[in-house]
Amino acid sequence: MATTVNVKLSRSNRIYRSSEPVEGKIVIKSPTSISHGVIRLSVNGSVNLQVRGGSAGVIESFYGVIKPIQIVKKTIEIRTSGKIAPGTTEIPFSVNLREPRENIVEKFYETFHGTNINIQYLLTADIPRGYLHKPLSATMEFIIESGRVDLPERPIPPEMVIFYITQDTQRHPLLPEIKTGGFRVTGKIATQCSLQDPLSGELTVETSSVPITSIDIHLLRVESIIVGERIITETSLIQSTQIADGDVCRNMTLPIYVLLPRLLMCPSVFAGPFSVEFKVCITISFKSKLAKAQPKSDPTAPRLWMALERLPLELVRTKRDQFSC
Amino acid sequence: MEFEFRRRDYGAENDSQLLPRSRAEKHPLSSTLVSRQQQAKTVRGSNLDFFDPLRGLDANASEEDKIEDNSLSIEAVTQDLIKEWKSLKRILMQRFPVSKLFFYFTQSAVEHPSAVSHLDEPGSEHTSLEETAKMISQQDYLAKVHELRDGITCAWQAEDRVTSLKLSIKVTKLLMDTTVLQFYPTVFVVVTDMLDMLGEMVWERIKEKAEHDVDGTMICALLMISASKQEKLAIIGFAKLVLYENFSLACKASVNNSFLTLLTLLLSYFWPLVSANSYLELAILPCWRFLINRPVEVLDRLVMMVRGLADPLASLYCRLYMVHRMQKLGFCNSGYLIKCIKDIEAVLAPVIVDKDGYSYITDDKKLLFSLMEPPIEYIVKCLLLSGRQENNVLGMLEELGFGRNKSHSSTNSSRVSILLHYLLKELPSELVSSKATEILHMIKYSNDCSFSQILNYRLLGNRLCEGRDHPGFLSSLINEVIQVASQYQTLYDYLRIMDAYVDLLLQNKMENHLDALLDDIATLARDKFLSEEEQASLQSIFLKLLSHFEDLQEVLPLNHFIEILDLMSGTSKISVNMHLLNMGTRNGCISDPTTVQLLFEVSQALYDATDFLNIKDDDNLQTAHLISHFVEMVDYGAEMERHLMFLAECREAFNGIHELKETLVRSSNTLAVKALKAGKKHTNFIKSCLAFSEVTIPSVSTPTKLLNLYLETAEVALLGGLISHSDGLVMSAVESLENIEATDGLKSIDGDSIASVVCKLCSLLVIVPGNPEKGVMEILKRIFSATCSSSWAMPRLKVKIFCAIISLSSTLSQEKLPYRSANPEIIGNDVLFFGDTSYKNELVSWTQLVVGELVDAIEQESSQIARGNIALEACNCISSALVMNEKVSQLCLRLLETAEGCLGAKDRYLESTKKSLQL
Repeated sequence: MATTVNVKLSRSNRIYRSSEPVEGKIVIKSPTSISHGVIRLSVNGSVNLQVRGGSAGVIESFYGVIKPIQIVKKTIEIRTSGKIAPGTTEIPFSVNLREPRENIVEKFYETFHGTNINIQYLLTADIPRGYLHKPLSATMEFIIESGRVDLPERPIPPEMVIFYITQDTQRHPLLPEIKTGGFRVTGKIATQCSLQDPLSGELTVETSSVPITSIDIHLLRVESIIVGERIITETSLIQSTQIADGDVCRNMTLPIYVLLPRLLMCPSVFAGPFSVEFKVCITISFKSKLAKAQPKSDPTAPRLWMALERLPLELVRTKRDQFSC
Repeated sequence: MEFEFRRRDYGAENDSQLLPRSRAEKHPLSSTLVSRQQQAKTVRGSNLDFFDPLRGLDANASEEDKIEDNSLSIEAVTQDLIKEWKSLKRILMQRFPVSKLFFYFTQSAVEHPSAVSHLDEPGSEHTSLEETAKMISQQDYLAKVHELRDGITCAWQAEDRVTSLKLSIKVTKLLMDTTVLQFYPTVFVVVTDMLDMLGEMVWERIKEKAEHDVDGTMICALLMISASKQEKLAIIGFAKLVLYENFSLACKASVNNSFLTLLTLLLSYFWPLVSANSYLELAILPCWRFLINRPVEVLDRLVMMVRGLADPLASLYCRLYMVHRMQKLGFCNSGYLIKCIKDIEAVLAPVIVDKDGYSYITDDKKLLFSLMEPPIEYIVKCLLLSGRQENNVLGMLEELGFGRNKSHSSTNSSRVSILLHYLLKELPSELVSSKATEILHMIKYSNDCSFSQILNYRLLGNRLCEGRDHPGFLSSLINEVIQVASQYQTLYDYLRIMDAYVDLLLQNKMENHLDALLDDIATLARDKFLSEEEQASLQSIFLKLLSHFEDLQEVLPLNHFIEILDLMSGTSKISVNMHLLNMGTRNGCISDPTTVQLLFEVSQALYDATDFLNIKDDDNLQTAHLISHFVEMVDYGAEMERHLMFLAECREAFNGIHELKETLVRSSNTLAVKALKAGKKHTNFIKSCLAFSEVTIPSVSTPTKLLNLYLETAEVALLGGLISHSDGLVMSAVESLENIEATDGLKSIDGDSIASVVCKLCSLLVIVPGNPEKGVMEILKRIFSATCSSSWAMPRLKVKIFCAIISLSSTLSQEKLPYRSANPEIIGNDVLFFGDTSYKNELVSWTQLVVGELVDAIEQESSQIARGNIALEACNCISSALVMNEKVSQLCLRLLETAEGCLGAKDRYLESTKKSLQL
């Protein structure tokens, strides 16, 4: 059995606020006793920016990675050099992310994994073992949630927008039968939404001469990076949820209810060099032979047989419930 | 030494043996109300689990039931619904069985049960689905579904819950395919079973995690943060779940606070289609209990979510599953059900009405609606159950748009008739009675192809009949119904509707309406050939009429009754005729000539329709019995000649019915006796009655009956003083006794009953005057020889008959006979042969011969016990008939020895015989 090192955090969901100490233990399982150097634990939080595809030009994509933005980087000593007995050894630790006097909470952006932007916090435990042995190390990602004290209470007041989707609101060409026959879909949807709550709203098909095959709600993220003097924006699809399958009844209210995938989303951020925003796209697909012939690549791209409505979505962090950790 | 007959004084013997009699207070078999109630009380008091089927209706008990009915507990409702669900599943499988045909399926899911991988990319699903259209038999299809289901269980047990969820999504996807309509219910049942199972597994796991704290410090830390309540423990369970599965890394999904949100999220991520989503969410619905206190919000959302399914069948079945899962949640609320039903109506509306605004029924639609019936029935049932439980059925109905004003109803409240039907079917009957007019209007305005309007009218009638008290507006209601029904031009539709209302008319004594109804039927049916269905409906109506009225005299004067009856034919006519006959004969004698004529015709029609000679079954037997009963009940009173004529007519008309001949002979004998009582002037009539009987009897086939009838008639002849007739009849009886073997060689003969008839003949012979010309002993000898040579007579029976003959001889030798004919003109043998020694000698020598045969017959008996008993019997008989001289006592001793050898010395019969013989 080889020697293994694991970092275990005190919270099963690994969510911490920037004001809280990150606690846990380093678990070392070894069949023999090990002598080691100083055991260190380093915390590393950074915003990694990357430009690829999208609106980036050839040169920008050639350079690729832009210098990451450091959020936090510190190393603490957990144990001085010594020996570890065979079997399982647990070394508890506790790390404060920010200095006691430091009061800039804003810089601790929430964890986010996107296409071009990655905000990530890692804990790394290093156990050097002299020159003869390979050093042991283990890494664990933990998740940062905003630690601000002025977070709004749940539920946040619903800021609903009313939308109308008709043949005239479409900016792309439609099939002639859809254009002439006409359709009208109305509804309302929240444009501001707590990350813990589902995105909610409702939708009603009032009229449609051409049968509908599907109505979907797509979540989009918009990541923007300032590179030199240009702003490079990339929009990507996070998740699709179908809310209607087939030609649904007219004048019947359908619920919009979309659960937000936490790791793929974060509160909307407008930092200096980058920003992360979100959008909702409602698509209505009409029955058409063309739709079957065309392969589906991007469900939110405008097509002849589809009607679209894009709405901005502002995600906010609210105060956690008492029971959730 | 010769035998000598014992001398007997019958009068003195009778007086000395007579038991004292006293009058009883009440009849032993009559039961009074008091005793019944007492019985009921004792049963209740002792709390025995016993129900006396003969016990009368207990008023208290029914009241108790009522109270229970009104206050339905949630548990009872849930129990009921679980049962209902099981039966529903069975019904679905039975009504739409799996055929062996091949069908095209546009589903690829069942094709590769192992290929889970392509589910990982949500986008690629659509394309692969639409391209594959595979031919696959339904059995194979089901087998694959089962395979998938096993896969889910295995994966779950192997802690690979992600795979098992993925597989469930795959299976659930099957429910979106409605290409093969007939097959849908089967798939539904199989898949929902699977989903139930999955829901159960999730529930169990969460419960387990919430209850058992296994792991170490990590959980303790969590414990410190979240509070102590049970509910919060459950949330810790979720957290653990998340930890165990390590979902967050495996599928980059959320690390949100609960397994449920995670699960739903997972669903929306892997299979972002509304159907799979809603079904799986429904499967895990009960788990919401852990998370939130008021699951109503989830329900509301789900009710609305299902609306996203546009296919009417798929959405209806999805709603069905939703209702089923609600019960698991232990949550009965009519609110969401009402929403559900309103949604169903909205979904059905475009199916029912075409674009042009017409409502045609096509084969496809018919199938679709037949598939929709069971789920609708189930949902409506649930609705009314929960309504009853909330004690708010009326409010619920109002919410559904029931009982609006007339002005509204004409424009607005046309309802989907299939829904209306099932609603009406489940409504409590009090409510049906009180709201009948509104319901009628609703039926009137909901005329679409989803359900036959006629059947709805019918159902209303049937439901009204169930109710105990009827509203005052019943008369106007029925007027309206008749009006509506007569708008249907065909007789069949009219009959189908009105059939349901006949009972109502009768119960409420609405003669005018009944007349109108019959008028209408007569007009519609006149000059037409009635189809089988029409016949059946008419039959049903007529049977209701007949069973309502007590007496035939009330039925016959009804308008057009006979006319309509004549229009009927075939089995329905037979059935009605049988009821008519039954009704006509159950109330005592029939003396009205027209009634007799009608019933005679009815009987004739029945007789003509049945083949009595060749087929013998229960129906024929019943018909035969009815006709015989009718003939028996006819009574012309003083017009006896006419009665006899009638009997002759019957004999001619129904000569195939054997049972009837007996009745005919009895009736004619009764007539003769009646004439006798009336006075001497009827002698000729009596003779003709006897002649009628004499002619009729030989055609009776059963020997016992034949003999009995001869004897009866002979008695009547004796009573009338017609010795030649009685002699002839007795001779005929003896002849037929002799001929029994010749005629009925093959049939098994009931020897016991023949033996008893022979005994009866012997007792009759006491009063029949001997014929000096032919010899007094002539008849006795013939009986004796017939018995000796017969094959039907077992030794036991022979002994019985010989004993009877010995007793008879002994009686005939007495100076005064024990009884004589009621007719004073008939002279008994005691007077006829008074002092004739040769007569007595002949009797004695004859008896000697019989005794010899008797002893032989006893020896022949094979069974020991029987032999012992008949030996004692013979011994008793001999000792009572003959004077106990040496020869007789020797004989008796021998018999006693035989008996002792067979029965043993301690037999009580033997002992008492010994005692009486004083030996």
